[in-house]
Amino acid sequence: MKPFTYVRPADARAAIAAAGDAGASFLAGGTTLVDLMRLEVMTPSAIVDLSPLPLTQIERAGDGLRIGAMTRNSAVATHPLVVERYPLLAQALLTGASQQVRNMATVGGNLLQRTRCPYFRDLAVACNKRAPGSGCSAIDGYTRSHAILGTSESCIATHPSDMCVALAALDAVVHTRGAGRERAIPFGEFHTLPGDHPEVESALEPGELVTHIELPASPFAAHAHYVKVRDRAAFAFALAAAAVGLDVADGKIRAARIALGGVATKPWRAAEAEQALVGQAPGRASFERAAAAAIVDPKPRRDNAFKIALAKRTIVRALELAWGAA
Amino acid sequence: MTRPLIGAGIDRVDGRKKVTGGATYAAEVQVANVTYAVLVGSTIGRGKIKAIDTAAAQAAPGVLAVVTHDNAPKFPGVTGNHEANDRVVQGLQDSVVLYHDQPIAVVVADTLERAQHAAAMVTAEYDAAPPVGDVEADLGSAYIFQTPRGPAEIVRGDLAAGLAAAKTRVEATYRTPVETHNPMEPHATIAVWQGDDHLTLYDSTQAIFNVRRRLSTMLGLQPENVRVINHFVGGGFGCKGAPWSHVLLAAIAAKATGRAVKLAITRPQMQSLVGHRPKTVQKLELGVDGAGKLTAIRHDCVSETSRFDVFVESCTAVTRMLYACPNVTTVQRLVRLDVPTPTFTRAPGESVGTFALESALDELAYAAGLDPLELRRKNHADHDPETGKPWSSKSLLECYQRAADAIGWSKRPAQIKTLREGRWQIGYGVGTTTRGSRQLPASARARMLPDGRAIVQAGTQDIGTGTYTVMTQIAGDALALPIGDIRFELGDTALPEAPPSVGSFTAASTGPAVHNACVALRTKLIEQAVGDPASPLHGLAPDAIDAEDGALIAKADRKRRDPYAAIVARSRQPEISVELHTEAHKDRDQYSVAGFGVVFAKVRVDEDLGEVRVDRLVGAFAAGRILNPKTASSNLLGGMVWGIGQALHEHSVRDPRTARMVTRDLADYHVPVHADVPELEVILVHEDDPHVNEIGVKGLGELSTPGVAAAIANAVYHATGVRIRDLPITPDKLIQG
Amino acid sequence: MSSVETSIAVGMVAPSFVLHDDAGRPLSSSETRGRPWVLAFARGWTPGHDAEAIRAQLRGLGAILFVVSDAGVWSFRPDDDVELTAGPSRRLRREIAALAARWGVDTRDDGVFVIDDRGAVRFAHTPSGELSATLAGALAAAGRESLGLPPRPGITRRDWAVMSLVAGFGVVLLHGCKAPGADRPAAPGPVAVKAGSEVDVVLRINGSDRRLRIDPRTSLLDALREHLALTGARKGCDHGQCGACTVLRDGHAVNACLTLAVAAEGAEITTIEGLARGEQLHPVQAQFIAHDAFQCGYCTSGQILSAVALLREGRAKTNDEVRQQMSGNLCRCGAYPNIVAAIQAARKEV
Repeated sequence: MKPFTYVRPADARAAIAAAGDAGASFLAGGTTLVDLMRLEVMTPSAIVDLSPLPLTQIERAGDGLRIGAMTRNSAVATHPLVVERYPLLAQALLTGASQQVRNMATVGGNLLQRTRCPYFRDLAVACNKRAPGSGCSAIDGYTRSHAILGTSESCIATHPSDMCVALAALDAVVHTRGAGRERAIPFGEFHTLPGDHPEVESALEPGELVTHIELPASPFAAHAHYVKVRDRAAFAFALAAAAVGLDVADGKIRAARIALGGVATKPWRAAEAEQALVGQAPGRASFERAAAAAIVDPKPRRDNAFKIALAKRTIVRALELAWGAA
Repeated sequence: MTRPLIGAGIDRVDGRKKVTGGATYAAEVQVANVTYAVLVGSTIGRGKIKAIDTAAAQAAPGVLAVVTHDNAPKFPGVTGNHEANDRVVQGLQDSVVLYHDQPIAVVVADTLERAQHAAAMVTAEYDAAPPVGDVEADLGSAYIFQTPRGPAEIVRGDLAAGLAAAKTRVEATYRTPVETHNPMEPHATIAVWQGDDHLTLYDSTQAIFNVRRRLSTMLGLQPENVRVINHFVGGGFGCKGAPWSHVLLAAIAAKATGRAVKLAITRPQMQSLVGHRPKTVQKLELGVDGAGKLTAIRHDCVSETSRFDVFVESCTAVTRMLYACPNVTTVQRLVRLDVPTPTFTRAPGESVGTFALESALDELAYAAGLDPLELRRKNHADHDPETGKPWSSKSLLECYQRAADAIGWSKRPAQIKTLREGRWQIGYGVGTTTRGSRQLPASARARMLPDGRAIVQAGTQDIGTGTYTVMTQIAGDALALPIGDIRFELGDTALPEAPPSVGSFTAASTGPAVHNACVALRTKLIEQAVGDPASPLHGLAPDAIDAEDGALIAKADRKRRDPYAAIVARSRQPEISVELHTEAHKDRDQYSVAGFGVVFAKVRVDEDLGEVRVDRLVGAFAAGRILNPKTASSNLLGGMVWGIGQALHEHSVRDPRTARMVTRDLADYHVPVHADVPELEVILVHEDDPHVNEIGVKGLGELSTPGVAAAIANAVYHATGVRIRDLPITPDKLIQG
Repeated sequence: MSSVETSIAVGMVAPSFVLHDDAGRPLSSSETRGRPWVLAFARGWTPGHDAEAIRAQLRGLGAILFVVSDAGVWSFRPDDDVELTAGPSRRLRREIAALAARWGVDTRDDGVFVIDDRGAVRFAHTPSGELSATLAGALAAAGRESLGLPPRPGITRRDWAVMSLVAGFGVVLLHGCKAPGADRPAAPGPVAVKAGSEVDVVLRINGSDRRLRIDPRTSLLDALREHLALTGARKGCDHGQCGACTVLRDGHAVNACLTLAVAAEGAEITTIEGLARGEQLHPVQAQFIAHDAFQCGYCTSGQILSAVALLREGRAKTNDEVRQQMSGNLCRCGAYPNIVAAIQAARKEV
């Protein structure tokens, strides 16, 4: 671990000021940052400890819900308002990581969770995300865990979060505070595709602090499900995951939400698949059509072509469970 | 007092230490004034170091030394010193790079944080050559391994004739990946020099005397001047059986700095520096006649080894002795790769060899329209088919029966793909297991103290198998003392030498030694008493004396007793003690000795998503006398969990281009977690075996792993009709299969 | 309170002793066969998690330590992790009183004596006031820095080692005697620590405030293991992937390896060493023994602390729920079925 300046700020304003320096990082739960600092994959010159900040609320916001950025994953997953109104989020959180990590990791930190690409984590090999311009070791390497959607010639690293897949499906809004202003960033705009700059992963500016997220009222609570396929029954990253919600009236699907994890470089909203469901009767046939529409122009590599079929089947399973037919 | 202690399922005597944090593992031994060493690994897989830049590390705060091949002390004993059951280590003696992550420098600093960061500052330039890291990339170079007794190609009977006589034949190729032991405790060594010629090592090892022998040879020290201590070992499974490079490097770093040095290797380093189970490619060809009798087996195994050292994953050994088949040919071939040397991994050879053999047998049973269990029963080997010797004991048929009854084997439909619960397809499978049981020479010391309590000592190790506990039980019975009045000590080369804790032979080797030493002590106490006019037992014949509850008593008059404490007190010696060396039991040469068992699996497979869940595993095992059913069951359960991991999870992956390990941590190298493991059922089948040793014990620590992966793979086939011949069975393979 | 008698003074040959239990069996004697030894009279002391820290100093010397308290006698040998413990008995109490008198230490007092390998008293210290204050003085005299330096000219290796021993023992005794903190730790105030500097932190661990000066990079796990000799929290992966380092932070299971120690100020940390109440094991600990829920033991501390949190939180009830929530604690020996059984058995007792 590289030496760093440690700042425990008095308040958010002090935190933002301290994080304005180039090379500074916020410290939330530490489950990504400390992990990657110990590998020297991340080498912040300063870390600004957010634990003193009062950002741990879970409260109603109009018809929706406001969740503070420093709320722990386990607290969100078990909160009655979340369980009742956003079961998708609770399910996704509980499939993620371990109880210990869920007790540490925060909502804000999880938004910025970094990839598990093994080449990203190994300083001895090239990685555009870790060392821009050095090349991508994964593309022609061992790619079983890598993305088939949203990739570029620079990077095929999978976004690892479960929480973010649910938030993508739930149309969450990320609220931030920077040096000069506050912003509300729609979830789909929060994470960026790797393109030529895989080192950039979000729309945040240096020193900009995530204060909370807001979830709009959801008509999907009655028919929502998160399915995660993985190599072991717990404590594993997704080979493929799907967060889905159905709004059904009079035997027809009024609206649908489908987001994918484990297969894309960012939390992946499958808008084409959602459209394919609107107006259809829920059932295996419509679900399979939607799944077929979900995977647009995949780019499989040496070891991950199975994810095309697996992602589709995962969507079908999630829709069936959401509808209560599986 | 409960008698006998042997056979009683008593709680571990070291349990309290383990649940309170009081058990102290190697890196936790508090040594005053200790410094921290961190290894720097190579970033090429083959070549030479051109230059190594340590300037920044040297200048970093707190750094005491940066040792590289440029400045390391040279020890003529380090290189070219390969011994059987030992590994060639890399001790910074030259610039040659043999594999990725090979230690090329050691950084020592006053704190761990400073040592870690300084290690990250060391950089090297190389002359690199392209490495080969996969057996299948160079199968053409496979050569038949020469054992000291000849080539590892063994022919029994006439394979071609056997195949010709078969009514049904199957031929298939099975693959098992590189597996990495990953015990929970990473290897660690604290090295403390006393002057120039005495060295103390607190080392996480399964073999303290191996470490002493090897380190004293490499460093040019008298063996008795190297003391190796470890009171607790956080798991080994084979990867702590030989001292690896880091042990030597800790000693070198301590020498270079003149300070005590603690070197705990990191989890990523554990994927490359401390051995692994090699990848295997195994070809099986089996024939069976119309009566269900095996007519021929050919088993050809290719496994990897390093360029500089030899390790054979002896998969075919089990094939030579498990079934009564007259025509058997087995071949072991090796491919040399630019990888670190593989080593023994829990049930080496048997584990992956049995996966192939027991899968092939299953394929043969389905092809011939036979019940898989019936095929195994019909070909039961009543004596060792390889040596012709009788078994010292064998209860495999009883194991089959009891485990089959427990899982309801006969009630399952014979047809594949017939059972389902919703989206889950259900299936049953079976796999036989066996493992030879050895006894090695061992020594032990038994000491009776003036307070009537005993200290019993042997330089063995407790790697979690319950050695502290079962040795205490053995001593308690031999001395007629309650558990609380015996202290069993191990893990120190200052104690009498006992064999490594490997090969499942600790109970069968050190156990008899402890028994014999305690019996000898009892004899000595009897002699002392009957010859002492002050003893109530004076003048009695030794065989007229019994021992009971910490005292000797006259058999004829049980009120005549002489407590041990009184005997020692009257002796006017500080204690009465015996040290004894025990060789392997005299009967053993006339018998083949092995444990046997069987595992049945019930699995469910998600028909769409390919996820496999083990619903039930039932194992029945026979391994002689069970010293402690509680610790024995735990050991067997653990072996079954290893089988689950082997079947469903574990695979180390090297980059196809560079041979560098890609699965570098426990997030990428999956071992089973709680959620993967259902309630498991262990049936202990009792055996009285007078031939194996004084206490009737065979080994069981590795008996329950072989058979599991095959049972699970066979159950997956029964559930889905998909035959996976390439471990592990992951969702991608099933949805594509 | 008696003062130190002149009969025991630095440079004199130390008197030998033998202590017995009621049956007359010898428990402990000063026969140390040429090893240096330390005799400590410490009223109210019982061996706890500090036992390992004591041994660290003993190992440096190959010395033996005898601690005499009104609860019994303990002897610590450097490479012997089984300490002989003797409960108080009438005879022992008499003998302790006599021993204390012989060494000029009333049992209501405390004292530390260091006897070298030739049997000569090299250090004698009996406090006249508060124990901690005077031991702190002894500690200061020995010098924190001297612990980290090789022998200086003019000081023999043995002198230096004895000083280290006394200093180390003082540290341990200070910790052992410190009263547990009564209240929740105060929320830490704002700080800014420059890269490369050390930082003073106060960690509330097992109810006691522990003061440390550390590198800000130090993880909570390394603070426990390398600075406080609380090695029950194990290092299995150092990346939050195995759970061996699990401790409770304000009652919840967390990975100590992913926690910076400096960021743990203000939290109540419970480690495995803080779970039992004296000799009384926590029900989860007791059930782990009864169900043989471990083999090598390396993951056990983490398993137990996760289980304690699981039972306290009370959400996971069925075996499958327990397995899911416990899946962050890897066990390579494969004790999982027994661990689940132990947790379910302990549920009834907590």
